[in-house]
This record gives sequence, structure tokens and C-alpha cells, in this order.
Amino acid sequence: MTDKIKREKGYTKANFLKGLFVENPLFVSILGTCPALATTKSLEAAIGMGLLFTIVLICSNVLVSLLRKLIPEEIRTPSYIVIIATFVTMVKMFTNAFLPELYSTLGVFISLIVVNCIVLGRAEAYASKNNVFDSFIDALGMGIGYTLAIMLMAIFREFLGTGAFTFGKIFTFIPEVKLQIIPKGYEISLFQTPVGAFIVFALILAVIAFIRNRKAELKFNLDKQEKIRKAQEAKLKAAQAAANNGGNK
Amino acid sequence: MVMQTFVSFLLAIVSSMLIDNVVLSRFYGICPFLGVSKKVKSSLGMGIAVVFVIVLATLICWPLYHFILVPAGIPFLDTVAYILVIASLVQLVGLFIKKYSPTLYKSLGIYLPLITTNCAVLGVAQGNTDQGLNFLEAIANGLGTSIGFLLIIVTFSCVRVRLESANTPKAFKGLPIALITAAIMAIAMMGLQGLFSGVIK
Amino acid sequence: MDQTGYLILAISILVGLLVIFMVSFVIYRRTPAPKGCEDIKADEEKCAACSNEQCQFAKKREE
Repeated sequence: MTDKIKREKGYTKANFLKGLFVENPLFVSILGTCPALATTKSLEAAIGMGLLFTIVLICSNVLVSLLRKLIPEEIRTPSYIVIIATFVTMVKMFTNAFLPELYSTLGVFISLIVVNCIVLGRAEAYASKNNVFDSFIDALGMGIGYTLAIMLMAIFREFLGTGAFTFGKIFTFIPEVKLQIIPKGYEISLFQTPVGAFIVFALILAVIAFIRNRKAELKFNLDKQEKIRKAQEAKLKAAQAAANNGGNK
Repeated sequence: MVMQTFVSFLLAIVSSMLIDNVVLSRFYGICPFLGVSKKVKSSLGMGIAVVFVIVLATLICWPLYHFILVPAGIPFLDTVAYILVIASLVQLVGLFIKKYSPTLYKSLGIYLPLITTNCAVLGVAQGNTDQGLNFLEAIANGLGTSIGFLLIIVTFSCVRVRLESANTPKAFKGLPIALITAAIMAIAMMGLQGLFSGVIK
Repeated sequence: MDQTGYLILAISILVGLLVIFMVSFVIYRRTPAPKGCEDIKADEEKCAACSNEQCQFAKKREE
């Protein structure tokens, strides 16, 4: 259906970028909040979570898109759940084998990618209707958008909570580096607790809402000014016309 | 002996209900927590349905893992098995309600399919086997977690009803102020952390 | 029972679960809603929990 529609130029780019900003799964659609709050204690864990999530999203989107004509309409949701669960199991086993530190840090949240609304939502809303390439780009955009979003949260939480950025603890193949920025004893360890997760998420959402309100207000004011200007112009014209008429008489 | 088991069972329930609360410290089930809880009545219905499904899922998943998957040598298929069990349970419970209890369907109908994608259910089933709990501990964990979810979701909906009419800054309207409220509730929960430090070693 | 027997049992149980899930899903969808709840909606005053406009429960924004 949609495959045959002639696509306008730049569709692929827009398709990719929409996941990053306009339709960001975490900050705009508010999906996948559980791992976003739970795994953002350290930047590295957030990167790992985002990476695993993106892999599962891409694999499931591509497979669903490949099978979209084979799966009967009636049993779509059950089949998608099984497909996603299979990929999650595979990713889980690979993580356990190659990145055991990441596996033990994320724990049960790797399995919980199965019930992450974003994966099922993208399969149902996008991949089941579009071709393989578009689904791949969509999944890539959404996955990177989600990763960037949880990285933003993790940056705040790790920086304020420990005063440092630590690398190499989870991805053991890079040398361990610790950048202490805030001197020890001055960090706010509340940000490492669940409380900090809620507060950081709330503040980011509030900033987004603030910017959005600002834009709407600005647009509203511009429209208003335009309207007033037009009304004045029309008035002036009418007055001129009246004056001209008066002069003619 | 029996008395001791019973006491530790109760303690395990209370500790997974209050100290290690699902929503506020383990972060399971944030989506229904934020999405559904606006009306006290509907959040109560959702919470009870979740309690029912979690307890049933625990009762099925633990034996399935220990008596079927482990002897067969395929314990890595646990996630797939659990999600299948949970999803079938939700469908069967929904089917039963739809057929035999219109009143229950009226208040729960739209929330039933959402339980499948509630992290709390899969999180409990997976956590039970990942942590190597025995059957009794698993049931205590399931009961405690689900009752904790019910408690928090109902309390939170009561708070949110009042938030609606509160005079909040424009940028904080809706979700941000709800999250701040959740943070304050989490601080309150942190206060309970030392509750059993003398009882359990 | 030996390992192979258990394996066959486990796989047949998994397949059985899958079949139960699919069948109950289809039956659930085909069962008509009871009288009086044919078109129940999420909330009378609609959900404003998130700004996802595609959600069927989402509140339509004013302005």
C-alpha cells in the first residue's frame, strides 16, 4: 500500500530525524520510562542499555516488516510479542557472554525490553505497514533518540550524584578512567537514589514544556501583531477611500 | 519452625511491599503509574487486576522454570516462556471477565490488555528465578510487590486529584509535577529503609 | 525420564502456551462486549499524562 506511494525527497532523512526530536520516544511520547529511570545511575550503563535496546528494536522492526504480508491480521500482536521475546533472549545471551559487567549491572531490565512499549508500538504502528528499509531507518532513529534521551538523564545523575564521570567499569575493554569534576564531599548523592531519577526526569520534561509554551506564545503574539497590522491597514485604506470619495464630491 | 517460616514469610511480603517498593525504588510499572492513576476508582481496579495476574503468574512461572525448563536444559528460554504465560493469563482472565461479569468488565475492560506490557509482572517472574528464590519466597515476593503496586497507585491517584486544582507553574502542569510528587513519595519510602534492620540479619 | 524426554516435554509445553495465547487472543477479540459496555472509553475527562497525540486516549489540545 504505502510502498507504492511516490515518496517525496528527503523522506528518509525526515524519517530518521523524527525519532531524535519531534517524536522522541522518551521525552515526547513518554514511553519506556521504566529503564530510563532505573538504568541511568551511570552514563556507561545508560549507553549500554540504549545500545541493547536499539539492537532489539532494529532486529524486531526488520523482521516484522519482512513478515508483514505473512502474518494474519488476527494474530499480529501475539506474533510480535514472540518475535521480540526471541530477540531479547538472543541479546541477553550475547551480553552475558561478551559483556558480563553490563549484564550484571542492568540485570532484569534486559529482559524487560520485551514489555517496553516502544518496541511493540513501533512494530504495530510502523513496521507492519512499511517496507524493510523504511522500518530499519525508523528503528535506527527511534533507538538513537531513546539512547540520547537516557544518556542526557544519566549525565545529570552521574555528574551531580558522584561529581565524576567514570568510564571503563562496565565496558571493560577500554581503560578505566575517572574524571573527578566536583571535589569529593561536595556531590549530592540524592541524585544517585530513585528520588534523583524522578526529579531529573521531571525537570527535563518541565524544560521541554517551557520551551514549547514559549514557542506557542511567541507564535500567538506574532499572529496577533499580524492581525492588528492588517486591521490597521484596512482601516487606513478605508479612510483614504472615504477621503477620496469626499474629495470627488 | 512453622511459626518462624510464617513470620519470615510475612516479613518478606512487607519488605518487598514497602521498603523495596516496585514503583518508587525498583521502577517497575511506571507507565500505568503515570498514565492510569488519575481517578481513584479506576486505579483501584487496575491495581487489583495486577495483583491477581502477578500472583497467578508467580504460581505458574516458578514451577515451569524449576521443573520443566531446567531439567530440559533450556533455562535460557525463560523470558519467552514467562511472557507467553503472562500474556495467555491476561487474555484468559479478560475472556472470563468479558463473558461472565459485565460490571467488572465495565470498570476494568480497557486496562486489561495493558497488564501484559506492565513491567511489574514480567519483572517479578524474572526476578524470582534470577535471584534464585525458593517457592515460598517467590510467592511472598509476588504478593508483596503486587500489593505495594496497588498501594502506591491508589495513593498517587488521590494525590493527583488534588494536583489538578493546584496552582502549579505552567511548565510543570501535568506530568512534571506528578513526577516531582512521586519523588517526594520516594523520599518518604526511603525513610522506611531501616525498618527491619534489627529483625533480619 | 531422560534429557531428550524432558526436552520434548518442554518444547511441547512452550508450543502449547503459544497456541493457548493465540487462540485466547483471537477468542477475546471475537467475543462481543457485554451489554452496556460496547464503547467504553478510557476516562470521561480523558488522559493528559503524556503529549503523545497518536494515543487514542490523548486529550485533544486546545488552541
